[in-house]
Amino acid sequence: MSTLSSTERTAKRHMGINTSRRISNTAAYTVLILISIIWLVPFVFIVLQSFRVESTWQVGYVIPQKWGLDNYANLFKTDFPRWYLNTFIAAVATAVLQTVIVLCMSYTLSRFRFKMRKPLMRFMLILGMFPGMLTMIILYRVLKDLGMTQANAVPGLILVYIASSGMGYYVSKGFFDTIPKSLDEAARVDGATRFQVLKKIILPLSKPIVIYTILTAFMGPWGDFVFARYISFGTSSGMNVAVGLYNWLNRDQIANNYTMFCAGGVLVAVPVTLLFMCLQRYYVEGVTGGAVKG
Amino acid sequence: MANVKLTDVKKIYDKNVVAVHDFNLEIKDKEFVVFVGPSGCGKSTTLRMIAGLEDISEGTVEIDGEVVNDLQPKDRDIAMVFQNYALYPHMTVYDNIAFSLRLKKVPEDEVYEKVTNAANVLGITEYLMRKPRALSGGQRQRVAIGRAMVRNAKVFLMDEPLSNLDAKLRNQMRAEIILLRQKLDTTFVYVTHDQTEAMTLGDRIVIMQNGYIEQVGTPMEVFEMPTNLFVAEFIGAPKMNTFKTKLIEEGGKYYVTPFGSKIEVNGIKGDMLRERNVKSQNIILGVRPEHISLAENGGEDTIPCTLEVNEMMGSELHLHVVTEDGSHLIVRTPTVDLDADARRELVYGKKLNITFEGKVMHFFGEEDNRNLLV
Repeated sequence: MSTLSSTERTAKRHMGINTSRRISNTAAYTVLILISIIWLVPFVFIVLQSFRVESTWQVGYVIPQKWGLDNYANLFKTDFPRWYLNTFIAAVATAVLQTVIVLCMSYTLSRFRFKMRKPLMRFMLILGMFPGMLTMIILYRVLKDLGMTQANAVPGLILVYIASSGMGYYVSKGFFDTIPKSLDEAARVDGATRFQVLKKIILPLSKPIVIYTILTAFMGPWGDFVFARYISFGTSSGMNVAVGLYNWLNRDQIANNYTMFCAGGVLVAVPVTLLFMCLQRYYVEGVTGGAVKG
Repeated sequence: MANVKLTDVKKIYDKNVVAVHDFNLEIKDKEFVVFVGPSGCGKSTTLRMIAGLEDISEGTVEIDGEVVNDLQPKDRDIAMVFQNYALYPHMTVYDNIAFSLRLKKVPEDEVYEKVTNAANVLGITEYLMRKPRALSGGQRQRVAIGRAMVRNAKVFLMDEPLSNLDAKLRNQMRAEIILLRQKLDTTFVYVTHDQTEAMTLGDRIVIMQNGYIEQVGTPMEVFEMPTNLFVAEFIGAPKMNTFKTKLIEEGGKYYVTPFGSKIEVNGIKGDMLRERNVKSQNIILGVRPEHISLAENGGEDTIPCTLEVNEMMGSELHLHVVTEDGSHLIVRTPTVDLDADARRELVYGKKLNITFEGKVMHFFGEEDNRNLLV
């Protein structure tokens, strides 16, 4: 050992670091790969089932014996396109309206000082702790009287989805709070109205949080089951995909519809997956951004 | 290009914290007024009330004869420069400067002309396409000033625009603001805590403390005739020496007796005391460091003291001395007045005699700290 030159010693020490890093990396990646496999199995399974044409019933193996797009084609002979459209309309409308409401609410609570501001925020926090399901029965009565159930469930659903969206202001308010107020003031002195300040200064600086808000607002209705089932109340033309597809799993329908159900599931996942792939960078920034952008 | 008039303006925050008390001031057209005072004195709050960024609790603010209390900032036709620049980080320098013009729907070629003009004046033409984060502090402040310049507003408000800059840059920008003022020729209200900025920039200075105006006057007025002890100590650097002593009237002549000496109040100050028929009383005497001189020999009109610190400032020396009763004074002596030998002797422990003339003294009441001659 004592005969080693200093450069050799350094090299040896580096090798030690490299080796131990390699071991810990290998261990970490092994665990992560295992977890991903477990996590991906159901998805792969559903995709494979959706391409199976030899039987519409469940079979005892995973890889299809005969591949084809029959299941997808058959979807269009059912009410599926209608459900898909219903879901899409509800989700897009909710995404737009809810985003507008949430961002305005957050801006107001972040920038304006008015009486009862703090009590209001506290009140909404407590109100938000009650599960939304509690309101189902009364909501149904109200929507029925307004003629927004069953076949007309979509506008009713949009109402339900956006009704409490003002309460979801926390994340974006937190983000807005980190933008210096003097920017607002400079813009107002420069001749901007409050709304122009929001549009031209705050929102461009909050891109991640805007996208995060749109995504979450879109996802809620896209995957909703409970309210959608309740308000469409068995009328096929008012259902969304989740409710419609679920009905195919009834004991009397599953034999003919199982693989079609899988195909429908894949189609449901497509837009959300695409959205996420395009916007995931912002989504992650949005979730963590408020905290680090000091 | 407008006058600004504040009448009984008050700012009361929640829980009855009063930040500004009955603020009365008329700022004339094209005047450069500086609000100066220690932090928390209400100077920024007052400026923000003029800008419309802060509600006015009581009183009225008029711009060009129109009461603007209930007008939004955008409707007051003002331009403002902020301490932290407040540049829009997602816009280029060009877009930052053009922002207000575009809001006013000014045609794009006119915008281009105005922005490039302002950039030329401020020397930031080569940075126009950069984002603010790629600029240094001084450049950012220029952009902020440029943004205010293109507004062509009636009143130009500046809230401590130089305090985030380093000392050298601050001096340079101060000179540029003076030039800018000549070019723009509009009404300026400038807030600072730095008395040098106030003295060099202002046509008039408003000295504030705890929400009250202590004195309003030209730099020369507040320097030569401070209304009270606070103003006297705030204006001038190093600050004025003040100490308790007696003012004695003897046979039509006035004397002060600091630290066992007896110095006649001669010159204009003596005349003024006589005119006002001031009685003998305990006072606080103020003498600026530059008005104290080193005396050759001890006499009745000199004060013996010991040198503690000798600060060599280049053109002058700041001598920190202690009197026999332990009071600390500062003496400012031009370097040229002393030959090399005398300078070398000015070291710790050196015994000195100091004196000053009557015409440079300031007299403040012991109780109310008000200038006896105002």
